[in-house]
Amino acid sequence: MDARGTQLLLPDGMSGSAAADRLAALVPVVTERAYSIDRTFWESFDGRLQRAGLALAEAGGRLVLIDAATHAEQAGAEHPRAARRLLLEDLPAGALRDRLAPILELRALTPVARVRSRLLPINVLDDLGKIVVRLRGEQSAALAAGAEKIALRPRLHVVGVRGYDVDFDRVLALLTRELGLQHAPRPVLDDAVEVLGRPVGGTSSKLRIALDRAERADRAAVTILRRLLDVIEANTPGALTDVDSEFLHDLRVAVRRSRALQRELRGVFAPEPLRVFRDGFRELQVLTGPTRDLDVQLLEFGELAAGLGDGAAADVAPLRRLLEQRLVAERRKMVAGLRSERTRALIRNWADYLDALAGAPEADRPDAARPIADVAAERIGAVYRRMVKIGRAIDDGSPHEALHDLRKKGKELRYLLEFFSSLYPPEVVKPMVSTLKGLQDVLGRFQDREVQADLLRAVGDEVAAMEGGSAALMAMGVLVERLAEQQQQARAEFAESFAQFAAKPQRRIVARTFG
Amino acid sequence: MTPVVALYNIKGGVGKTSAAVNLAWTAAEQGARVLLWDLDPQGAASYLLRIKPKVRGGGSRLVRGKSDPAALLKGSDHERLDLLPADFSYRKMDLALDATKRPTRGLQRVIAPLAEQYDYVFLDCPPAISLASESVFAAADALLVPLIPTPLSLRTFEQLQRFVAQDVAGPRPRILAFFSMVDGRKALHRKIIDEVAASSDGCVLQAAIPAASDVEKMAIQRRALAGFAPRGRAVRAYEALWNELRPRL
Ligand SMILES: Nc1ncnc2c1ncn2[C@@H]1O[C@H](COP(=O)(O)OP(=O)(O)OP(=O)(O)O)[C@@H](O)[C@H]1O
Ligand SMILES: [Mg+2]
Repeated sequence: MDARGTQLLLPDGMSGSAAADRLAALVPVVTERAYSIDRTFWESFDGRLQRAGLALAEAGGRLVLIDAATHAEQAGAEHPRAARRLLLEDLPAGALRDRLAPILELRALTPVARVRSRLLPINVLDDLGKIVVRLRGEQSAALAAGAEKIALRPRLHVVGVRGYDVDFDRVLALLTRELGLQHAPRPVLDDAVEVLGRPVGGTSSKLRIALDRAERADRAAVTILRRLLDVIEANTPGALTDVDSEFLHDLRVAVRRSRALQRELRGVFAPEPLRVFRDGFRELQVLTGPTRDLDVQLLEFGELAAGLGDGAAADVAPLRRLLEQRLVAERRKMVAGLRSERTRALIRNWADYLDALAGAPEADRPDAARPIADVAAERIGAVYRRMVKIGRAIDDGSPHEALHDLRKKGKELRYLLEFFSSLYPPEVVKPMVSTLKGLQDVLGRFQDREVQADLLRAVGDEVAAMEGGSAALMAMGVLVERLAEQQQQARAEFAESFAQFAAKPQRRIVARTFG
Repeated sequence: MTPVVALYNIKGGVGKTSAAVNLAWTAAEQGARVLLWDLDPQGAASYLLRIKPKVRGGGSRLVRGKSDPAALLKGSDHERLDLLPADFSYRKMDLALDATKRPTRGLQRVIAPLAEQYDYVFLDCPPAISLASESVFAAADALLVPLIPTPLSLRTFEQLQRFVAQDVAGPRPRILAFFSMVDGRKALHRKIIDEVAASSDGCVLQAAIPAASDVEKMAIQRRALAGFAPRGRAVRAYEALWNELRPRL
């Protein structure tokens, strides 16, 4: 089925049929009846389909996944209801969902562009009169709000027929050489997204920051914090309306990263405004915490319940209902908090503060003018040494809190490495990141299992009072036990992963690079 | 698993190729991705689709697993219908299969790697019982047998059923038949069809293909019926046949 395909741009003033006429002088062609389609394209906020070279078009109640370059159909399904956003689980089971699953993960699809196209099929025939290359003239317009139509550059799709590659190459050569057509640099959808004023390729929450070793530390801090603030602002609308759970997640990560930088580079800020902002960001973290925790609980619920086996998996349904009810209540509180004047003022003031920072007096900002590579190295070295110290003190008798503390520090170190890794040799940073990741995995599992078990214990009474509650309570008992086992397992793995993280050669390299 | 349907009859000229091409086209038209393998060295199906009856390396290399079948496929004038063309060397398919380790698996070996790209595979078989036929029985999930409504053709159909039931080892295809080239003006045709309808155990499908000049014209037009007589009764008959067959695959 898969055939080769490409798209060419038609020059201004050349319609699809004009191109067909010119081609007809060179090869036998038949032009079929032109037709129109109205398509709505769906995409994730962060542009995952675009990055995978795909596009999801909805037309006439069907969703069709196409190759963005060739428009070859990859999979299709009925479009469920008149949904404004689609999660994987909203799609009917089948090829389309299977294909999208690894690409979308938890991200929702929302409409990004409506495109109306007039298509003219032009078939190139061989000496038997058989179709050997399919051409399609496309004249499209993006439909903006208020039914305004914005014309897009016309195109010619060139699609091969399986087993007729020679003809494909021949026709493509004619079109490019004889007719002088250029290859389209990107799919028509990207053109539409652009004229509609949306970001082509979606909005990423990645940092993507390039720093200069000699740069002033306060400027470098502003660059990173500005980017983090952009991420917070970009993800706020989606977090408020719960388009998918990743908006809130990305927002929280950006808040946490900002806090880590506020703390670690405190010497570039003046103490008093910094204290106010740190309080404000802590509040933001607290405000969004319960909703995120419940999001995670519900996301992991399926897996957790599946571990119980068929019968008991259904028993925990009351728990799920309870979690969902709580989520609704917590989310309401969070939305009010995020919309409050207090939060908006925090964001506004923080932005203003960052804008002015590099020009502010330096008397109470001792690190402000130092090279960022020096300041960051000190911090990375210090946090690493601190972790080694905490970790060494942990033995089988240590309280859970000791491991939790270590994990917190680990997150801090990871963020520092994310911000500043480009300033140091990769052969130093890489093993550090990888052993840190190994350690954090273990610590994360250790803590997550505890949090989950705590939650189950905490809601026990409430679940028991619900319909079907006693069966649920028993199943939850099994779950708590299982979680405790898994936590124990993680604890058993701690020593090994810490030993790698704190191994002598690594300590020596860290000392040499970061002081 | 992708169903494999073989158009099959020991007798020649009963409408196998006409049915293979039109059913495959109908299935593609309804949205399925379809592969048609023209197994007849005469290459009638390839001819009807305007595709040269030529397979690089020939049938022998193909069934011995020496050619990549995917590289031999040809797209038809329908975007979702591909053809594995006929080749004159298929007339020696028996010998080619006999030279392999497991002759009856020969066709299956070719189809298996292709099947996942398609929703249905059709085989247009030449007439005759032979080693190739046994390979067809092994590869097909269903044998679809066109029957001209004469007492003789019913007998041959019963023989085929018996043969497959007794002599085919391993999983057997189900055997389904339909009436082909039915002339409603002939009393004999009507009588036989009525009798079969009364006594049939469900292996003869209700939908029948009428004798129609449209079908004969395919050879002149070199297209599936939908390409030149899209509203004729013959097209509708093949559609009805496909709609009845599809849920039984
Ligand atoms: N329903 C029909 N009405 C009229 N003519 C038909 C019909 N079906 C087939 N024919 C004609 O009968 C002849 C044989 O048909 P077809 O090639 O489909 O049969 P076949 O079983 O594949 O033959 P072979 O055994 O030679 O491969 C062809 O000329 C075809 O046009
Ligand atoms: Mg035939």
